[in-house]
Amino acid sequence: MPFDAIVAVARKEKRLMLTEVEAKQALKEAGIDVVDTRLAKDKAEAQRIAREIGYPVVLKIVSPDIIHKSDIGGVKVGLADEAAVSTAFDEIMAATKKANAKANVHGVAVQAMAKQGTEVILGMSKDPQFGPVLMFGLGGVLVEVLKDVAFRIVPLTPRDAGQMVREIKGYPVLEGYRGQDPADVARLEQAILTLSEFVEGHPEIKELDMNPIFAYKDGIAAVDARIVLEDEAAS
Amino acid sequence: MPFDSKTLDRVFNPKTVVVVGDKKATQYSWLRNMKTVQGRLFSVQVDQNEIPGIEELGVTNYTSLLDVPGPVDYVLVAVPRKVVPIVLSDCVKAKVGGVGIFTSGFAETDDEGKGLQQLIAKMATDAQMPLIGPNCMGLFNPKAGVRHSVDQYHGESGPVAFIGQSGTHTIFFSTTLEAVHGIKLAKSVSFGNAAVMDVSDFIEYFAQDPEVKVIGAYIEGTKNGRRLFETLRKVAARKPVLIWKGGQTDAGARAANSHTGSMASSQAVWDALMRQTGAIRVDSLDEIVDTTAAILKLGELRGPRGALVCMTGGESVVITDTFSKQGLQVPLLSDKSYGELSSFFNVIGGSYKNPLDVSWNFQSTDMANRLLGILDEDANTDFLGLEIFVGSMGRRRERDKDSQGRSFFDAVADFAKGSRKPFFAMVTATSAEKEAVEIRQVLREKGVLAFPSFQRGAIAYRKALDYWTDRPAG
Repeated sequence: MPFDAIVAVARKEKRLMLTEVEAKQALKEAGIDVVDTRLAKDKAEAQRIAREIGYPVVLKIVSPDIIHKSDIGGVKVGLADEAAVSTAFDEIMAATKKANAKANVHGVAVQAMAKQGTEVILGMSKDPQFGPVLMFGLGGVLVEVLKDVAFRIVPLTPRDAGQMVREIKGYPVLEGYRGQDPADVARLEQAILTLSEFVEGHPEIKELDMNPIFAYKDGIAAVDARIVLEDEAAS
Repeated sequence: MPFDSKTLDRVFNPKTVVVVGDKKATQYSWLRNMKTVQGRLFSVQVDQNEIPGIEELGVTNYTSLLDVPGPVDYVLVAVPRKVVPIVLSDCVKAKVGGVGIFTSGFAETDDEGKGLQQLIAKMATDAQMPLIGPNCMGLFNPKAGVRHSVDQYHGESGPVAFIGQSGTHTIFFSTTLEAVHGIKLAKSVSFGNAAVMDVSDFIEYFAQDPEVKVIGAYIEGTKNGRRLFETLRKVAARKPVLIWKGGQTDAGARAANSHTGSMASSQAVWDALMRQTGAIRVDSLDEIVDTTAAILKLGELRGPRGALVCMTGGESVVITDTFSKQGLQVPLLSDKSYGELSSFFNVIGGSYKNPLDVSWNFQSTDMANRLLGILDEDANTDFLGLEIFVGSMGRRRERDKDSQGRSFFDAVADFAKGSRKPFFAMVTATSAEKEAVEIRQVLREKGVLAFPSFQRGAIAYRKALDYWTDRPAG
């Protein structure tokens, strides 16, 4: 589904927040590597998708009314076979109903278990004077506690993307620290430029986060993604 | 709104200037600022009590702007805020070249002020009339004799333009750059609340002004960040633009809001703006005047490796730390340099590794010449910085003539003129502030770039080097 169609669905449902599946689909179509994540409307579909993408898988509730999925028991990881997917599906539905009986449930997201990589974050927010601004940083504690992040105003040039990645204090971690694999910096720079182009072409996006992205020796994968739209009147 | 350069040329180089509303309570300060106008200067004042004082200054007063024999190129408005729209309406009728509004009490003050600011902005925009301010000190053009302040010079001009959201910083930039480095301005503008003309308009104008080689700016905020970003992307790669951002901290941003009504973007975004466009970030008046001087006087810079000369061992340690903290290097010199130095340099109580702790080896001007000559030829370093002592060592040096009969300072000046490497001096005052100022003045008059401390030299060199080596392709 092209981004315009995803936005149209959200507008129709009077939502500003895209679901994780929608957000990842949009980013994938924009050309950013995301962990394969598909929407299953029922249990049988969840099992079929799991077979296709390969075990183990992760199941997550997809509902615009549930924001903190893990907190309510809406996320199950490390599901190794068909039986595990079946049990997890039932548990997630029960937990969702318990948390919010009126929740509008799209289904569950079936996602490949991503191999752990170096966690980074990449996002976009809007500055009142300068418009869309990208932020890049290392994920987890480093971004939250140390605020070790770099900003650039959209649109970015290749020079900007290269400097942005190298500007953070944690850059040596990406180069491969104490025998760890180095991160694929070229692909990160490419993802930054792709995101810059994507948000420049879509002023209707208010905020966007990929947190975390796993960076590997070869390639990267966005594990979680969030897109918030501008109010229709504003965009 | 953007104005074409012909429209702005008229107001920036005015032949006829009018001050509206000057009064005795402020010692007719605006008329005094403008007494140096090369063309015609008039006053407009309706208050009969004020007029005799104006005429005593030798300025012809009219009671209406419409009576002033035109064309009028620049009007400085200093009337109470409620009267500003009335004066502006006369300016439109008289088709004046442009207006600077000194009056404050607009968007920075209250809702009534916000409304008045919107009104005057609309009047000027509808009439396509350049409006500077309100809440500003207007224009400075020394050649035209138009000034922000009586503390400023007039007559001769220089290669620098300044754009300031604060009148104080705009005045101090011109006077300090002249006093410390002997460099004059071509023009400056203090633009206050930016009701019509914003920082981007002035950057664009100075970008195409052939007289202007360096643009400096003090900014607290901008109404249109996108336009500033796009303007700087065009300009900063071709012509150095130095930006001093006021309101970097949360408390500072609050102060900026009450000063010029500026909205805050985070400092991180301003930093990004500068990195992306190649504008040079400076953080103080000292940094902006020093970096301007380094860009203009040192020419194109190529590298971070310095050959540094100090008078004593303690200074040689500290100067190395100071330059290293700016990401500059103090490497070993070439074998050839060491070969030459070892033939005459007395290492007892000194060292010629780098930095050179010259101690007694600098007592005669001939030796100083020889040392500087070797460092200038050294293949391992890109620039040369020289500490000059004040006090007894300084005075002794001044008396010692070299074999060509030159004093130390004359020899240094001749060296600076002919040196292959960028060369500057650092004169730290210690207890002799007055003497240090005098020595720097002697150097300045002889054309040698001199900084008042190691730190100011290191920061200025670093920032100028960034301009030459780390900016996006234009």
